[in-house]
Formats: sequence, structure tokens, C-alpha cells
Amino acid sequence: MDRPKTLPLAVVGVSHRTAPVEVRERMAFAPSEAEQALLELRSLAGVEEAVLLSTCNRSEFYLFPAVDRRGLAAAEELFRSHAGDLERPTADFLFRRHGEGVVRHLFQVSSGLDSMVTGEAEIQGQVRDAYERATSLQVHPPMAGPVLNRLFQMALSVGGQVRAHTAIGEGSASVASVAVELARKIFGSLRGKRVLVMGAGATAELMVEALARDGVRGIFVANRTLERAVPLAEKLHGHALSMDRLVEALPAVDIILSSTAAPHPVLPHSLFREAFPRGRRRPLLAIDIAIPRDIDPRIGDESEVFLYNVDDLRKIVDDHVRVRAGAVPAAERIIQQHSQEFRSWFASLEVVPVIRNMRERAEAHRQAEIERLFRGLAHLEEEDRARVEVFSRRLLNKLLHDPTVRLRKGMVDGAGADLVDAVRFLYGVDAEGRPEEEAPNPPTSREEGEGEAIQSKEWSG
Amino acid sequence: MIHLLAFFLYLGAFILWVRFLLSGARGDGPNVASAVVGVAVVVHAAALGSFWARYGELPLAGPGAALSSLAFVGGMALLALLPVRQVSRVGVALLPFITVCLGIALLVGIRPSDQALVFQGPGFVLHVTFAFLGYQGLAMASAAGFLYLIQHHELKAKRMGRFFHFIPPLATLDLLGQIGVWVGFVALTLALGFGWAWTVQHPGVISLSDPKVLWAILSWAVFAVVLLLRRGRGRREYRSALASVLGFSLILGSYLVIRLTSPGSGFLP
Repeated sequence: MDRPKTLPLAVVGVSHRTAPVEVRERMAFAPSEAEQALLELRSLAGVEEAVLLSTCNRSEFYLFPAVDRRGLAAAEELFRSHAGDLERPTADFLFRRHGEGVVRHLFQVSSGLDSMVTGEAEIQGQVRDAYERATSLQVHPPMAGPVLNRLFQMALSVGGQVRAHTAIGEGSASVASVAVELARKIFGSLRGKRVLVMGAGATAELMVEALARDGVRGIFVANRTLERAVPLAEKLHGHALSMDRLVEALPAVDIILSSTAAPHPVLPHSLFREAFPRGRRRPLLAIDIAIPRDIDPRIGDESEVFLYNVDDLRKIVDDHVRVRAGAVPAAERIIQQHSQEFRSWFASLEVVPVIRNMRERAEAHRQAEIERLFRGLAHLEEEDRARVEVFSRRLLNKLLHDPTVRLRKGMVDGAGADLVDAVRFLYGVDAEGRPEEEAPNPPTSREEGEGEAIQSKEWSG
Repeated sequence: MIHLLAFFLYLGAFILWVRFLLSGARGDGPNVASAVVGVAVVVHAAALGSFWARYGELPLAGPGAALSSLAFVGGMALLALLPVRQVSRVGVALLPFITVCLGIALLVGIRPSDQALVFQGPGFVLHVTFAFLGYQGLAMASAAGFLYLIQHHELKAKRMGRFFHFIPPLATLDLLGQIGVWVGFVALTLALGFGWAWTVQHPGVISLSDPKVLWAILSWAVFAVVLLLRRGRGRREYRSALASVLGFSLILGSYLVIRLTSPGSGFLP
């Protein structure tokens, strides 16, 4: 087998960078479809290993080995047949990477660098799901074999390291997640906390859903007309109430989310004072994303009230996005380092059979020589034989130690290919590490004679 | 020597917490800092044990020895918080107090008191131990209160920066502050009770006008005020946090004043 100049890896797919949502949703694979696609890919193109990562922002086939275009062509065909008729050819939306570019790409994906919102954490779980889906397929050889297994394991590890050691995931990067983060920093656990939703905007709904995932209970939906509050209340498993009952509801809630289309504040300061004549005793988080504002800004001056309007939240999100963007170079350095590590690991796969064969051949020679020696020294005691045996092993190990270590190091340093060629030439080993031809046993008749001479001089009784 | 090692370990843990804070609460800083605190407390315990073995008395009398024991109680309290990841960050505010106590102890010398104490025995040990627990309770509440005030300010200022990410939630800090004040109040009350019982048994040894008695009563009053302030209307948590910080500062300040103005009072520690 000729040694490839680059890693025989490939990835082909669509992402938010190459295709709009209308195309991405057509090319997305449900979990069961993904399994079927992987099996088809193997049967069609003889791909040994494959993983399909499919999320709302990307669908990507990772392939190994990809020494010719058959695997890529089969994957593209799968996208084409899955997406059906599009306005433009499917290939226009696809991107392709080869060799080390695949490693870097996957590491960037798992670290959140290639996400729509830089640093988002959800992708890490999605990469894990894709990898586990491939490993769970009951096929032989495994769909995520040694190479993709290693690649995805490293990708998950790199994603974790990038998040732990850089600011790539710092802060929340959406209004809804900022709201949840603020609530957590005020209340600690959100279990059992009560929320009042004023209006029925989509963002407020998203925020309530996010809060509900954190354990918020007791959701009140207030609207100018009770009828309009009921559907959202039912959807969120909450209670509907009309705006004229706000005074009663306010003391019971911990969080207010407001997004009405009212042209004037629906929660004026006077109403707040009416609800809390002696001031609020417990903290209250009020998030007002309505334009014009629903909550009188003077309420934010109350001691236990933390009021955020849409500009405050946007500014926080922008700050976080800026911090995340600033962390990209540091994240890229981590990715670069681990890409090199993967390259070295892959190269080391090539050297393992060569080293093994080199040692096996040396060991065979050692054993042959020992046997020959003992035949000529039949009078030796068992103890002496054991000593000679140990000596020969030690000598062999010492002689092979440096070449073995240097060969491995050479692979890691990137100079290994020439070294492997040299070892193959010197030891007569083929690409798989097998001997190219059986070497004749080195001893000659002269050496036999020398052995006898030694026997007569040093080991004869 | 072992005390010095404990001092540097506490200092190291504090620096690690600060680094973690400045890094925007990223990396494995808390694990390393917590491990260093754990080692510091073990080393400190060994140092106090060695003192006991060497001098045949508990390190409770004599300014250096007493301050070291006071710092040790703080270290133990912090150790108890370490398993709760978020709460353990209070270490950044508590470790300076522990480190300064131990630093002063090292400066004045950790040795037995050269004054023969009039009353000794189990009552004395209980009195001093409960007093230390009481002061550390307030120190803990003060540390939590200090962080509460910063976090409150960050939330009001609508900033989600380093402090916001590093400091635990307001509710957590408030709970920790309450626990600190209540544990401290009960412990100090018991300490005063034991102290009073011994003065009854040894009349004339100590008078009500003795600086340390006045200081103890002042401390107890501070605790009572901090607890009372929680009961009023509005801003309970904020008031309580502020009162803990101010109360602890008042106790420390009055201690320094008394030490400076009546150095021969045999004040302990």
C-alpha cells in the first residue's frame, strides 16, 4: 500500500455557512435515517468507517478511508436523494474537506467555533450523539472504527478543553439564556420559583420554557383580555389572568417577563407601590423586552428589584459575543496542537507493525544463536544457561531500544516517513510489517568455528 | 516551621482563587485551590498537634497560639464548604482573614502564654473553643456578606463580568451568611456562658470592666443586631449582608483598639 501524503479522511456536508435553513432542513437526517444512510454509504462505496453529524445547523458525513472520490461521491448522492428537488444543484450547497482539514474542522465544530452562535455548548452533545449512533450500529467492522473512534474521542476532549481554558463559552449569547443565567445568579436554584408572563411574545415564551427546564413552577400569564392569555397559559401549563389582577399576582412571583405590544407601561410605578406598599422583601427579577417598555424604569430603583430591558440584555449578549470572539485565537491554538497530535497518532499506526516486525526478527535471530551456542556448550549448568539467556535478552533490548524510541519520536516529529522507509529497507520489511523475504540465518561455518573456539578456551571444564 | 508551611499553603490557595476569579471563572482553578486548602488544614492541624505534644497544653492561651487556633477553626469551616463547588468560592473572601491571623501569630511567636492563667481546665478550653467558633461564624457570614454586596452591585449595574461569573448566587450567599451568624451567635453565647460560670467559681479574677469582657459583650451585641436586622421589612438579605460585614469590621476594629490601648490587659488572644 502506498503511503498517502495526507490523512485519508474526508468530510462532506452542509452547514449554516453554506446553505440557508430551507436547504439545511431538507438535508437533515433523523436518527433512524442517519443509521440507514451510514449503512448505505458502506455498501455503496466500501467506506470502512463513517459518522453522520446532523443537527439543525449542519449535516456532515465523516469518512475513512477516503483515498479516492468514491466515498465522497456516494455521500453527495445520499444528500441529493435525501433532499429531493432543490432550486439549485445540491452540490452548490455542499462543502468538502480532506486530510488534516477534516480533523481541524471537526475540532472547530465540537468547540463551537463553527457554530452560528460562537461557543454554543449544545454542539458538544450533538457530536457525542452522532459518534455514539455510529458506534451503536451492530455491523462488522464497526462503523466508527479505530480511526474515527479516535478522531471523535479527541474532538470531544478538545471541545471540553477549549471551553475550560478559553472564554469561548463565556456568558450567554441569547436573550433567553441571559434571562436564565440572571435568574440563577439571583435565586440559585429556580426550583419552585414563580413566573409572571405579561403578553404573549415568542421571546418571552422561549424564556419561560428555558426557565421551566430549570425547575420554575407556577407560571402566570397575564394579558389585557383573559381570553388571549388562556392559550399560552395552557401551553406553558400555567394560569391565565387579566391585567387588572396584577396587584394580587405581583407579591407571589419571583420573576416577571414582559413583552406586550401596549403603547404605555402596563406595570407603572404606582401599581408596583400598590402591590408593595412597604417595599419588596424578596428579590424580584423583571425582564422587559417590550418596545415601548412595559415596566416603569423607576421600579428598577426599588431595592430588591433587578430590572433589565431589551437594551440591557442586548448589551450583555453583545459583550459576551465580543468576549467569545476574542477567545477564538486561543481556541485555535488548542485545536492546532491537537490536530498535530492526531496526525502523529495516525502516523504512529504505520510504524507499529514495522517496529513489531523489527523486534520479532531480532528475537528470532537471538533465539537461533542461543540454541546454536548451547548446542556447542552442552556441559553448561542450567543456572549458567539462564544467565546467558538473560544476557542475550538484555543485549538485544539495549540494541533495539534507541532505534525504537527514535522511530516513534520521528513519527511524532513528522520525519517518520523516511525513517520507516529506512527501516523497511534495512530490515527487509514490507508496508504491512511483514518480512519481504526470509533472511538466511547469519551464522557461517567460520562463525561456527569461532563458537567452538570460544568453547574450548573459556567454557571447557 | 510547620506553621509557616500552613501559612504559605493558605496564601497559595488564596492566590489560586484570585487567579481563578481574574480568569473569568474558567479552568480547573477551584479543584486545585480546594486541594491546597485541604492540605493547608491538614498541615495546620499537624502544627497545632505538634504544639500540644511539645508544650503539653492546647494552643489556646498566648496571642500567637490562640490566633493560630482561630485561623485553624476558619480553615476547618472552609474545608467543610469545599464539597459544594459554588459555595467554596467564599474562600476568596475568608482566606485573607485566615492567612492574616496565622501571619500575625507567626510574627508574635507561637508559644505558650508566659502568664500563669488563673483558671484552667475543661471550662476554659470550652470557653475559648466556642469563642473561636463564634468569631469564625461571623467571619464566614462577613465573607459571604461581602461577596453578596459585590454580586448585588453587579446585578444592579447590569454587568455580567468576572465578579458576576465567579461569585455564587445571592440566595446561596444569604443562606451561608445566615448559617454563619446563627452558628456564631450560639457558639459565642455558649462561650460567654462558660466564661461567666468560671468567673462565678473564681470571684475577683476578672471584672465586668475588663477589656476582654467588654469586647465579648460588644461582640455578642453585634451578633444580636445582625440577627435582629433580618427581621425588619424590605431588603432583609441586603441588610443582613451589610450588617455582617460592618459587624465583623467593628469587632476586629475594637479588638485592635483594645490591644493597642491596654497592652498589659492579658487579653486573649
